[in-house]
Amino acid sequence: MATNSAIAGDTAAPEDHGSHGEEIAGHVVLLPAQVKNTLVDSTSAGSSRFMRWAIALSVLSVIGIVGLVLKFLAHSDDQTKWGYTAAVAAFLLTVGGGAPLVAVAPVLAKANWVRPLTRIASAFSLIGVVTMIVMIPLVAVLPPLVTEGARRRSIWFESPDWTPHTFIFLAMFTLLLAGLGLFYTTALPDFAAMRDHSSGWRQRMGKMLARGWVGSTVQWRTLRMRIGMFGTFYFLILIYVHFLFTSDFAMGVVPGWRDAIFPMYHAMSSIQAGVAITILAAWAGRRYLGLQDYLRLDQFWSLGRLLFASSLLWIYFFFSAFIVFWYGRSLADIAWVDLFIRGPMIWAFIPGMLMSFVVPWWWLIWNRIRTSVDGPAIGAVIVLFGLLLDRMRIYVSSWSVPPEEIHDRYLKHIPETVWPDAFDYMIIVGTTAAAALVVALAFRLVPIVSIWQTQEYQLLSKPVRYIRGHGVLVAKPD
Amino acid sequence: MADRSILGLFQEAEPAADAMDGLARAGFEQGTFDVLTGTPYPEGAFGEHVPQHRLFRFPAFGAIIGFTTAILLTAGTQIAFPLVTGGKPILSLFAMIIIMYEMTMLAAVIATVIGIIFESRLPNMNPGAYDERITEGWIGVVVSVESTRAQEAESVLKTAGALEIKHAS
Repeated sequence: MATNSAIAGDTAAPEDHGSHGEEIAGHVVLLPAQVKNTLVDSTSAGSSRFMRWAIALSVLSVIGIVGLVLKFLAHSDDQTKWGYTAAVAAFLLTVGGGAPLVAVAPVLAKANWVRPLTRIASAFSLIGVVTMIVMIPLVAVLPPLVTEGARRRSIWFESPDWTPHTFIFLAMFTLLLAGLGLFYTTALPDFAAMRDHSSGWRQRMGKMLARGWVGSTVQWRTLRMRIGMFGTFYFLILIYVHFLFTSDFAMGVVPGWRDAIFPMYHAMSSIQAGVAITILAAWAGRRYLGLQDYLRLDQFWSLGRLLFASSLLWIYFFFSAFIVFWYGRSLADIAWVDLFIRGPMIWAFIPGMLMSFVVPWWWLIWNRIRTSVDGPAIGAVIVLFGLLLDRMRIYVSSWSVPPEEIHDRYLKHIPETVWPDAFDYMIIVGTTAAAALVVALAFRLVPIVSIWQTQEYQLLSKPVRYIRGHGVLVAKPD
Repeated sequence: MADRSILGLFQEAEPAADAMDGLARAGFEQGTFDVLTGTPYPEGAFGEHVPQHRLFRFPAFGAIIGFTTAILLTAGTQIAFPLVTGGKPILSLFAMIIIMYEMTMLAAVIATVIGIIFESRLPNMNPGAYDERITEGWIGVVVSVESTRAQEAESVLKTAGALEIKHAS
């Protein structure tokens, strides 16, 4: 067994000391029964307030579904009306797809700070259900590869006409399956804890989902391996889904747009959004579920650094793509700049860029902001709004190209600005609410912070004196 | 044939490890006794028998099936409808890779999900002796024995310091 020591030093902020666990040299020592009680109870905390929120989100979700249906009935023959729906699908994929990577990558690197966050991060894979619902009408209105005898340029070459429609849906399903597998596998021991220590419907659900988990050697061993496998699969599929989504729903419907960097830009901003939504959910868990001993400064500080780094990557990828079009000066390149930068969606481009990069960069660059709980959370809200605007810029512009022009060699006429209609507002608000509802419901079934991973951290760490300071000694089993 | 399950409950890890050692010394076969925990202790921490796993077989098998199906689908389509595109060969690998990758991953993930059911021994229809305190930090040492050796197993668990003994058949 290798060991690793993490020096706590003076990192704990004054606001972080209101703990319920015993604090030794800046390290909160929590007993297993205490962890179990607090986290099991957190699933039923604030029931009346949760009920009010759940009802509100449910109503909005229904409005979103109604909006989707009405829009399909009204505009199923006009692709140019679906830009905002494509943008919201891309946004849900960006946010829900990226978050589980926060549960995977640091764990594979044996980072201990991430243990209380893995449940939060993996639960966002459930948003995939909502994304797939939004995708149904989108796939239906996406033009086939061949229309009126002309085949548009795409990654599908001479494939049958409906190939992109089939495979994007299949890819989304694969991602959802891998995400559900990751979520369920990591939650399995906690379902057993819910079976053993909760009551009512939670206990019944825990019993059903725990499938006879008793914590035997074989079960723990397979659990570890499964988490590794699903994590790896998830990452491999997520990158692929971003590749397909950007190719079919953006580049494939804009004539002359050929950009090898764009899919990676899309995937990278998904990681940025995933970090942001994880920070936000952890902030809410800490504030509203009283989990200060579990979601501590260390988690926010570490995620704040990741958010800062991913915001820098945003501008790197954006600029790498932009500079090619800017200096390319071919007719296709000029059309790209006119459509996506200074054209009809400039109102989304400027604030989107400010909120995806400039403001979070300036905000998170300060140590005092990063080493706080609220600072990264404010940065996360800004980033999420920025990415929503960025997705609108990309997908509303792309889908505004008339279908009769998507077979051309380049875009000859820049479309007018498309503003959202009433259906779009219903869909944007409703599907976002549905995504929030799905995740919130998951945290009523299983604790927002993993019981077994918290106990594992407590088992493997202990506070020690280090010369004249103190630190936390963390064992890292090979 | 083991017909009884005996569970010794411990609050500390050290006596639980002593119980595992005691059972091995008493001649109970490896695999007939195991440790139950609510937290994943490092492998081998209790001196427990760690069985060989075959986890990689499920995703590998699924990936092979998905990959083969994808090759048949893409190659079959291109051979059935031979269209020369941009002077490239009829069987163009780069056009096939997209579908091959997707179907390989899909089949691998589905097989992994199926694998959970088999390899994790879930659903566990007869979990044997169990106690709810295990999920709040207690440690259980469970032994599957024939009735004739039940007393002996119980004695080993008690000697090691089991705070409570539970039986199930």
